[in-house]
Amino acid sequence: MAEQPSWQDVLDLIAQLNESDYESASVQVGDVSIRLSKSDAGFDMPEAAGRVGAQPRIETGFDTPMASATQPTTGAAAAAPAAALGDTIDAPMIGVFYRRPSPGAAPFVEPGQRVEADTTIGIIEIMKLMNPIVAGKAGVITDFLVTDADPVEFGQPLATINTSA
Amino acid sequence: MTDAPVILVANRGEIAMRIIAAARRIGASPVLAASVADKDSPAARAADRVIVIGASPANQSYLKPEQVAQAAVMAGAAAVHPGYGFLSEQPALCELLEEEGIAWVGPRPETLRAVGDKGSARQVAIDAGVPVGAGVEIDDPTIVVALGDQIGYPLLIKAIHGGGGRGIRLVTNPEELVELAPQAAAEAVAAFGNGALYLERYYGRARHVEVQVFGDGEGNAWIFGDRDCSVQRRHQKLIEECPAPGLSEKRRQLLHDSSRALVKVLRYRGAGTVEFLVDTESEDVIFLEVNARIQVEHPVTEEAFGVDLVAAQLLLALGRDPQLPDVGPVPPAAVIEMRINAEDPNADFQPNSGDITRLVWPKGPGIRIDTQIEEGYRFPPFYDSLMAKLIVRAHNRDAAVAAATAAVRNVTIDGLKTTLPMHAYVLAHPDFIAGGIPTSWFGPVWEARKESLT
Repeated sequence: MAEQPSWQDVLDLIAQLNESDYESASVQVGDVSIRLSKSDAGFDMPEAAGRVGAQPRIETGFDTPMASATQPTTGAAAAAPAAALGDTIDAPMIGVFYRRPSPGAAPFVEPGQRVEADTTIGIIEIMKLMNPIVAGKAGVITDFLVTDADPVEFGQPLATINTSA
Repeated sequence: MTDAPVILVANRGEIAMRIIAAARRIGASPVLAASVADKDSPAARAADRVIVIGASPANQSYLKPEQVAQAAVMAGAAAVHPGYGFLSEQPALCELLEEEGIAWVGPRPETLRAVGDKGSARQVAIDAGVPVGAGVEIDDPTIVVALGDQIGYPLLIKAIHGGGGRGIRLVTNPEELVELAPQAAAEAVAAFGNGALYLERYYGRARHVEVQVFGDGEGNAWIFGDRDCSVQRRHQKLIEECPAPGLSEKRRQLLHDSSRALVKVLRYRGAGTVEFLVDTESEDVIFLEVNARIQVEHPVTEEAFGVDLVAAQLLLALGRDPQLPDVGPVPPAAVIEMRINAEDPNADFQPNSGDITRLVWPKGPGIRIDTQIEEGYRFPPFYDSLMAKLIVRAHNRDAAVAAATAAVRNVTIDGLKTTLPMHAYVLAHPDFIAGGIPTSWFGPVWEARKESLT
């Protein structure tokens, strides 16, 4: 067994995951661990805390998307450094983010409210198609980082969430 | 600055860089629609703004019409340039944009439909009086022997909805046809969502010659000469040149007149390419297809005639004069383009990706490099293997071949395997130097070289 996976090994892994029914995969080779996920929302990393320092970051693009570090955008508020935010709920698609089911209605959730992974926190409209957005993880919503009817990009943090609360 | 029209660039890699340059040239503001993998790419840095449209795999970003259209709305775009590949020939994106009042840099959706399907493209060609090959559609893949006899052997089974060299099978006798037709139909269903097939006469030693057109959308055409793209491996072009060498005046005129007739019939809008098969064993010239987009190899034409086709596309889409000159059928220079791919030519052209640790380009008159790569760039595994196009212009073909040979020798790309050794070999080969090789030339020649090395 190779001590360290080559770039090609990672590619092969991606190809195999794509063709398989698995939603995510975790592979450990020597002291390198690789985690891949098909879903836009990335995936839970329950064991991540225990192995600090032994996890070289391999940019596969399947990682949970970080805040878009591009030039200033017009509509969306520039995101604060992701590290300061703790856990975030990120936009799984580009579109216009709405916090309410319809204009004038109460927001789906308010900061301070507890959500489950399947709780709807908003809607993203993409070319007139409405897509419910779920929290993706359980916890307490601490803040919304975008305001109602803001355009958002793929991967842009929408809200912060305290998952240990 | 405030009234500079925004051009959304809905592509990546070298063509994104090319479109951004053209937007700058006409005073427009380029905005890049990028996947996560490309959000910090050289093209992203070159644009005025980047909008992340989706995840890294193309089928979650660059291939999603609604995501690109959404980005165009968010960018406040006046026009969207789709580049080549991805959504460039999809009426879906074009129509979504029309609804939003955003211009599409390309032909009308009905043109995309008319030429996007090989059966209807063939009919358009027939209507325009353009020579087409003997061919017939298959109604039932289990009843094909009579159709095969009608065309004659060898023949090709082609998927009507295929493209880019996919979905094509060579058949040399009726037994093979009976066996392969149902397989091809099943594969076409799997690959293209449609099992429609047709049979066509196969020319074993034909060249691939194409004509660059630019239509004003009213039926008038600029014709910017022809290109020879016969150095191919498995239907993928490796080297292209302008003009096509050794064409008789009569043949060239037939190619150009046919292309002009197609532009007129289609009332074609913007840049396009009409592809032909030019036989080396007979006088046959056969229409292949219309590529309703800017093509990878457009720079050879630009350099040969001194025009900016991408800027012209943008100007036309913005409702302005494309500022193109009327030119003769043969350009005043000869130009050769080498596609440098992240593939190992000594390992069956297997793609590879990784960090580019050192990069040196040749310099000098007539050398153009269209690329997104730079030192330290991590060539991503998600997309096409094209890294760069090395384009070399000289006063005639012999000089262009010599200059191209020197240019290839003076490229350094460290960190991953490239197709440069293949280019050096082809450019030095007497058959290529003589000009006019058929598309079937490269495969066996490269195989023979490999065997001579072992």
